[in-house]
Amino acid sequence: MINRNLAKVLSFRYKIIAFVLVMLAAGLVLLPKYEKHEGISPEQLLSNAISPERYISTDELADKLINQDPSFLLIDVRDEESFKKYNLPYAINIPLEKLLDEESETFLNQDEYNIILYSNGNFYADQAWIICNRLDYKNHRVLKGGLNEWFTTIINPKKPIENMPKITFDLYSFRKAASMYFGVAYPEQVKPATDTKNKPIKKRVIVRKKKKMAAEGGC
Amino acid sequence: MGPLIPNGLIPEEWNSIVAILIGLAFGFILEASGFSSSRKLAGVFYGYDFVVLKVFFTAAVIAVIGILYLDYLGFIDFNKLYIHPTYIWGAIIGGVIMGIGFVAGGFCPGTSVCAAAIGKIDAMVYIVGILIGVFIFSELYTLFEPIYDGYFLGNLTLMDSLGVSPYWFVLVFTIIALVAFFVVDLIRKRVKKVFY
Repeated sequence: MINRNLAKVLSFRYKIIAFVLVMLAAGLVLLPKYEKHEGISPEQLLSNAISPERYISTDELADKLINQDPSFLLIDVRDEESFKKYNLPYAINIPLEKLLDEESETFLNQDEYNIILYSNGNFYADQAWIICNRLDYKNHRVLKGGLNEWFTTIINPKKPIENMPKITFDLYSFRKAASMYFGVAYPEQVKPATDTKNKPIKKRVIVRKKKKMAAEGGC
Repeated sequence: MGPLIPNGLIPEEWNSIVAILIGLAFGFILEASGFSSSRKLAGVFYGYDFVVLKVFFTAAVIAVIGILYLDYLGFIDFNKLYIHPTYIWGAIIGGVIMGIGFVAGGFCPGTSVCAAAIGKIDAMVYIVGILIGVFIFSELYTLFEPIYDGYFLGNLTLMDSLGVSPYWFVLVFTIIALVAFFVVDLIRKRVKKVFY
């Protein structure tokens, strides 16, 4: 037996399906929109934040600088005054309050360079790192310990005592050599002939002039 | 495969087996809906059978509506889906070659394998043709490489390149699809019927 009513309905089946399809698509347009969570998810941010990968040690950085590794940008997040007083070679100054400026973004949001953020300690650099990560900027790292650590390890490395392992001595000699590269003079290097009394032989820090960066990072 | 294997819900070793099962199901459905007939496939070009157009258009519409709903409800992150990269001239030239092959042979690569599986000789010849084409392409790869790798536009979607809201785009797309179905039905009624 043929169910006439059913057959009647089924003769319209394509029209019904088409109607349902349009309704579904229109539903998408009519649905109330809500603000989507922009940038990376909190879970992702947390896992980035607790990853030890996000730090670079002062030794690694010194090694990169000495070898003139072209693959990274050093970014100083302190204010301009401190930047002018002292900064790492080739660093770019982007003070924390200007982090979200448009011109800063050209440096921060790009894929070509590894970006190393530093401040006096970890703190401001970490803040900058969190913000940049939240915005899903890639390849950001923080100089562990910041400039303070830089001074105590690279510029003024502590001489190891005799009973320390060889590895410490190797590290010391690396750091000492690095500090010489960055302009520290050691007493044993200075020739006695040029030595004068009133000239105290102090560890000098020569501030290298910031080189003008060629247009990098797409600006 | 999807979220299941990277998240360890299915062990990695099952990857190929799942792929084979999906492939079998796909082939079975293709054959069952008559897509192993070159006359049916070529019909879309001659105007006596528009099943191919209807099937693929419907699939696209359903998929995009479904994905957008899932994205809206938070089950899928739309921005994390894989989007096929666009090499514009490679796509255009490849599309033209594929289209000519489609009209001339009456198969697309997938359906040709499907038809060969049920013993159609023309499909087997078609597959040999595909293999010859693959051979020529690989031999002359250095010649084609600038087109193959060049003109890269990124992982674009139509919505991105048009700069419209995806929801409105889908609505318009759906309406275009339905209008297209209606129009091809009119065409089909005017064209002389072909029995196969």
